[in-house]
Amino acid sequence: MKKEFSKEIIDEITTRCPEASVKIHAPRRVYIRVPREKVYDLAKFLYEQKEFRLSIATGIDTREGVEIIYHFTFDQAGTYYNLKITIPKDDLQTKSLATFLPAANWIEREIHELLGVDFIGHPNLKPLLTAESWPAELHPLRRDYADEHKNLKMKEKSEEAL
Amino acid sequence: MANAKLWGLKKSPWVFHVAAASCNNCDIEILDILTPRWDVERFGIVLVGSPRHADALLVTGVLNRKSLPRVLQVYEQTPKPCLVIGVGTCTCHTHIFEPSYNVVGPYDKYIPVDVYIPGCPPKPEAIIMGVVKALKRL
Amino acid sequence: MNIVNILISYIVFPGFLFAAVIGLFITWIDRKVTARVQMRVGPPWYQPYADFLKLLLKETIIPEGASKTFFLLGPMIGLVAMSIFSVMLFSMNFNPESSFVGDVIVMIYLLALPPIGIIIGGSASKNPLASVGASREMTQFFAYELPFYIVLATIILKAGGTIRFGEIIRVQQAQGPFLYSLSGVIGAIVILLSTQAKLSFVPFDIPEAEQEVMAGPYIEYSGVALAMYKLTRAMMYFLMPLFLISLLWGGLTNWWAILKFLLIIVLIVLIKNTNPRLRIDQALKFFWVGIGTLSIIGLILAFYNL
Repeated sequence: MKKEFSKEIIDEITTRCPEASVKIHAPRRVYIRVPREKVYDLAKFLYEQKEFRLSIATGIDTREGVEIIYHFTFDQAGTYYNLKITIPKDDLQTKSLATFLPAANWIEREIHELLGVDFIGHPNLKPLLTAESWPAELHPLRRDYADEHKNLKMKEKSEEAL
Repeated sequence: MANAKLWGLKKSPWVFHVAAASCNNCDIEILDILTPRWDVERFGIVLVGSPRHADALLVTGVLNRKSLPRVLQVYEQTPKPCLVIGVGTCTCHTHIFEPSYNVVGPYDKYIPVDVYIPGCPPKPEAIIMGVVKALKRL
Repeated sequence: MNIVNILISYIVFPGFLFAAVIGLFITWIDRKVTARVQMRVGPPWYQPYADFLKLLLKETIIPEGASKTFFLLGPMIGLVAMSIFSVMLFSMNFNPESSFVGDVIVMIYLLALPPIGIIIGGSASKNPLASVGASREMTQFFAYELPFYIVLATIILKAGGTIRFGEIIRVQQAQGPFLYSLSGVIGAIVILLSTQAKLSFVPFDIPEAEQEVMAGPYIEYSGVALAMYKLTRAMMYFLMPLFLISLLWGGLTNWWAILKFLLIIVLIVLIKNTNPRLRIDQALKFFWVGIGTLSIIGLILAFYNL
């Protein structure tokens, strides 16, 4: 199998979703930007029919909204097909992939507790990595967390002084 | 009689390894000192499997919000008198991890530490020297 | 015999103190040989005594919710049993008239008490890992005791049907040790492997596997109670090879007995250093199927005087 991205997969993706914009970063790395509503069907297609593997999902807080990238990999060719979605800040929710993908279960819990994105249909959306005493509505990886962090530290210092 | 018991404590410290969310570099170096090259059993140091058998706690890693109650529990379960030895620079002070959201102060605020061994990770000779210094202080 | 003599023989020589001091020395030999085999320098000669003294210094913590009597009773059972066993072993070797009918059965019973102490202690600590360790110890106890009893029947058969310990030794001194016959060799192999399992040494240290159940039944013990467990094991390490020599190799009255004892210790240490740990079902199968048939073959051979 040639160690390069395959044109058939990209053609199939663009036929299913014409609004996708494909950027080929390197011979084995492809970034596909899709709208938020289409990622569920595309991921289902890739996972069930083409037997891709979800490696990880990453999220970041930008000016346009919260960007989530789902990294799908095709192990025989060693290529990564990354699906990028942007979620606007005033409507932070998206359909959860954990209903058919067991690999997305824990990573979506982590994105939920650290960035505040609500995944609809997730079977078990409890906090995963933060401590039990951490307030659940505080999302540390947001850009405006720095001010809340100062408030939290001052509150803890005053509690200790008592 | 107290002299004999103190001699016993100096000559055979049993060690339990508490890895509180470390990057595992210091843990690998602690594993190194049990190998034949820096043989540490000649000082009577044995790695035990339960904190109730331990005389010295080798602590690694920065103190986390999540690992704080667990480290406190392990410290309370160790029968006193016990030494606490902090291995690695992460135990001395929080340094570059200070602005993080999950870090709670240095170890000194919660449990009394006897010896700090700086280094990232400290060489096995440094760990041995630190343990011997802690034993000499008894 | 007045009461002072009896007390001195049980506590000082050849009872508790004698077996304890020499037993701790034998554990040092074990650790030093292991270290040399692994190409390192081992601990100095006073290491086991320093360990014991240090354990007396620490506080004994009894977990909340654990049964206090049985938690502290567990270590004592093994210690007392081993002291009595030591007195019986030495006095009957050097004075065969002092043995009574059926005392081999009493000695086997005394040897079975330390594992029972471990099981009681492990079950009395309120800890799920300790109960797992105690149940593994129970299973292993069933495994290695069965071939041991069959070999004992073999030895009784070869000694002409007597169950007095002094008689067995006297028959060996008259006829030549039982080891110099095929059923004797089989018996020696079986008793050696049973010793390895009773002392919880690799490949049979399943109850206290450090990577699986952290320290097994001993997990909640600290201070004086733990010191007693370690002392019981040290005494067993010293006394069980002597038991093997008395049953099969001619008794302890000869000066050659020291060399035979060192040979058995070296064999135990070698098996300990060259083998990985077994699983509990593998150990059970090994003892009942493999060693069990071997011991039955030994019994049949002894029946035909081989």
